[in-house]
Amino acid sequence: MNERRGSLYLLTGLLLGLAIGLVYSLFIQPVQYTDLSPDLLSAADKDQYRALIAVAYLANGDLVRARARLALLKDDDPYGTLAAQAQRWLAEGKAADEARALGLLAADLAQAQATLLAPTVATPTHASPSSPPAISPSPTGSFATSSPTETAASPAATLATPQPTTSPQKPFVLRKREAVCDPALGKGLIIVYVWDAQGNELPGVEIIVNWEGGEDRFFTGLKPELGLGYADFAMQAEVVYSLRLAGGGEPVFNLSAPPCTAANGEPFPGVWILEFMQ
Amino acid sequence: MAGRWIRFLLAIAFGAAAGVGYGWLRAPTPSAEQRAAQLRIDYQSDVVLMIAEAYAADQNLAAAVSRLAFLHHSQPAEIVQQAINFAERYGYSDSDLQKMRALLAAVESLTPLVGTGVP
Repeated sequence: MNERRGSLYLLTGLLLGLAIGLVYSLFIQPVQYTDLSPDLLSAADKDQYRALIAVAYLANGDLVRARARLALLKDDDPYGTLAAQAQRWLAEGKAADEARALGLLAADLAQAQATLLAPTVATPTHASPSSPPAISPSPTGSFATSSPTETAASPAATLATPQPTTSPQKPFVLRKREAVCDPALGKGLIIVYVWDAQGNELPGVEIIVNWEGGEDRFFTGLKPELGLGYADFAMQAEVVYSLRLAGGGEPVFNLSAPPCTAANGEPFPGVWILEFMQ
Repeated sequence: MAGRWIRFLLAIAFGAAAGVGYGWLRAPTPSAEQRAAQLRIDYQSDVVLMIAEAYAADQNLAAAVSRLAFLHHSQPAEIVQQAINFAERYGYSDSDLQKMRALLAAVESLTPLVGTGVP
């Protein structure tokens, strides 16, 4: 019995020491990292890093460089992360310029991806002849990681054009305005589709919605699963909205949630579908 | 009795050493506080370049200084200078260097006002 007690208190001492050691090494004096790579930053600093990539892209229009920089963050879904951050920052009213830049970069990445996947653009004629090779020896040449150079060598690099897609040359015309009572589409939404003159869905188009005492902005292409030219906005009950595209064109007035009735007799707010074409 | 105490204290010491070893060597989880100031110099230089690119386009010095605060350096001009030194050493393109130098000149013109006010 005494021997058993002896080994038990030794075990207790060992466990006590282990706990003290873990608390000290993980919480009191954790490992201090130096020479970090961007993927090891805290979530907040990664957000800031992404925002810087986006504002730099807005300034230089270099999608290849932006893509190489984003690769350093090693996000599982870089496009989705960008789009989500853009939506989050827009909703929070945080750093409007950065949020807009994030939205534009997300949309342009989506469009570049779509361009890459479309069979008709596989010909070299779609690479802008006036665009110099977008990647320069710096900064990607100096990175220790290989991903930027790999990106530069990918087909995407040759197809990407540095032209932002959000500066429409022709004004947009409202082609359709329809109130729809279909719960499957959503409830109380303004759904906007934007096409260019050739009938291609346009991502990255900024949409401004106003109501008494408020304004909000959102972008097409942030929900690529619903279409590159798709955007939606949730209406509040009994609020009247007006909407216009930031790139110009016909404004739409008097938008409020259409009153609808479900099959079981319950009322629900319907959806406005607005279709714009260049 | 004294022997028991010594063995107990030795067990604690052994456990503590094992715990510290595990925490520091085997499972050093990145803390939630990893900041951009701890980025390697090439990444910090690229951050400065991004800020310089934005500044070259919008000429918004207040925004540039605010963005430089991301690097948590007490002297924004100093970190820009370090980035330029790195860029020169590693052959950044002339246009990138030009943008960084323009940012440095602008930040230096503000340095007496900015000073250590940037966290």
